[in-house]
Amino acid sequence: MEHVMSGPPLGNVFVALVGGAITLWVVFAAIRMLIAPGETDPDHPKYSVLRGDR
Amino acid sequence: MIARSVALQDEDDREITSLLGAYIAFATGWLVLSTAVGLIVAFKFAYPEFLTSPYFSFGRLRPIHTNDTFYAWASIALVGLVFYVACKTCATRLYSIKLGWVTLALFNVAAALGTVALDLGFNNGDQEYREWIWWIEALLLIAILTAAYNLIMTVARRKDDDIYLSNWYTMGGIIWTLILSTVAFIPLYQYGLGQVAVQGFFMHNAVGMWFTPLTLGLFYYVLPKLLNRPIYSYALGVLAFWTNLVFYPIIGAHHFIFSPLPWWLQTLAIVFSVAMLVPVWAGSANFLLTMRGRWEQVRRSYALPFVFVGVLGYLLGSTQGTFEAFRSLQAVWHLTNFTVGHSHLTMYTFITFGIWGGIYALVPRATGRAPSLTLAGLHFWLATVGMAIYILALSIGGTIQGLVWMSGAPFIDSVTAIAPDWLWRSIGGSLMFISHLVFAWNVWFMLSGGERVISRVEPISEVA
Repeated sequence: MEHVMSGPPLGNVFVALVGGAITLWVVFAAIRMLIAPGETDPDHPKYSVLRGDR
Repeated sequence: MIARSVALQDEDDREITSLLGAYIAFATGWLVLSTAVGLIVAFKFAYPEFLTSPYFSFGRLRPIHTNDTFYAWASIALVGLVFYVACKTCATRLYSIKLGWVTLALFNVAAALGTVALDLGFNNGDQEYREWIWWIEALLLIAILTAAYNLIMTVARRKDDDIYLSNWYTMGGIIWTLILSTVAFIPLYQYGLGQVAVQGFFMHNAVGMWFTPLTLGLFYYVLPKLLNRPIYSYALGVLAFWTNLVFYPIIGAHHFIFSPLPWWLQTLAIVFSVAMLVPVWAGSANFLLTMRGRWEQVRRSYALPFVFVGVLGYLLGSTQGTFEAFRSLQAVWHLTNFTVGHSHLTMYTFITFGIWGGIYALVPRATGRAPSLTLAGLHFWLATVGMAIYILALSIGGTIQGLVWMSGAPFIDSVTAIAPDWLWRSIGGSLMFISHLVFAWNVWFMLSGGERVISRVEPISEVA
């Protein structure tokens, strides 16, 4: 869509590429953590919070 | 020595319980007031001749509804709850109980003065969610500053090396909001487009970098405690925390698409609105996977159904926000009532249900007094059905409204087309408001009215 301040097309491409690359990287990291959360150490904070209340 | 330690711990528990109770009681009062005002505003659409005095005019009541919902109900309730969570997760007492009371007083004084000033016609212009005049905004800023100091100092006294995930979110949210509020407060650069940019930065981040992290922090504590099961993936929660920080601050500019703001800024806001799907879907999946296979426990509890709806509200509301940022859809929905439906999907279905879940989970644990299961259920169903009617009516009506505007038909045609949906919105809003009265009764019961029915160490879900 046309806009008076749309600027050069390359600027928009650069913004979309950098933003897109960061997004894809974190998508990959999120999927990996969803499939294999790990965290089996019984001293991990996710377990100790269940015991550590006062 | 052990007896003395137990006595001190009991005294700490009594102090934080009193403080939590006061925060929840005041927040509940503000919820009832702000939504009573919201209901009047809703009925004005269906019945424009209803209450025509200047003190009841739409222009004065609408900001009273939004500001009191934000800075009185949700902020006071969340700060009270995160203080309690910090004490429990860090196995320590609150850094300063006295400062906690000062913070509560500042929030209440700011909200009371802000409400009166707005109703008398004194405001900060048309800057949404920051309509309070500057010195009342300053009181709010000091309230957040004192809360931040107390929270951070409490976490600093923890006995473990690790800072539990909940406190990452709550401390992050409170620090981001201090920056946000300061940037929005300083007037030097707020004219012309600078004001538009700051407004976009503030209005959107007030939700996404204040209420969202505080509510998510609450979920990361309440869910494992109620289910007696660890969060599915701690690392995913950390990833969602950092991606929220990276992606969120810039996306407020998507409220000003097609405005004179630089096109690259608008594009960046859209790209990062899509990127926000990562923390939203990762966070939601993390909560739902933690609940997996425990649906009977969710059904039997009075806190977990609220948390469950809160998680769904987070997932649906935030995903809807991403789609709303697209230029093609913004062309239809911008400035229509669809946006009002979206605001309620996030601030009500996610934040308010999340706070209710936190209150029903933690207040009985602190006071040992549980509400009636029937009345908690009545609160849940009235709020859920009312909210569903409200959001569906405004989503359908807002879309019709936008399409009529795009068709070039006379404006009055859009008013006629959406009129039935405004009536449905009032009906849904009435159910929501009645649910708040039931909730207020339940709060009174948990704080002072009910007999002691549960011990402090008993998991809440087993009682319900």
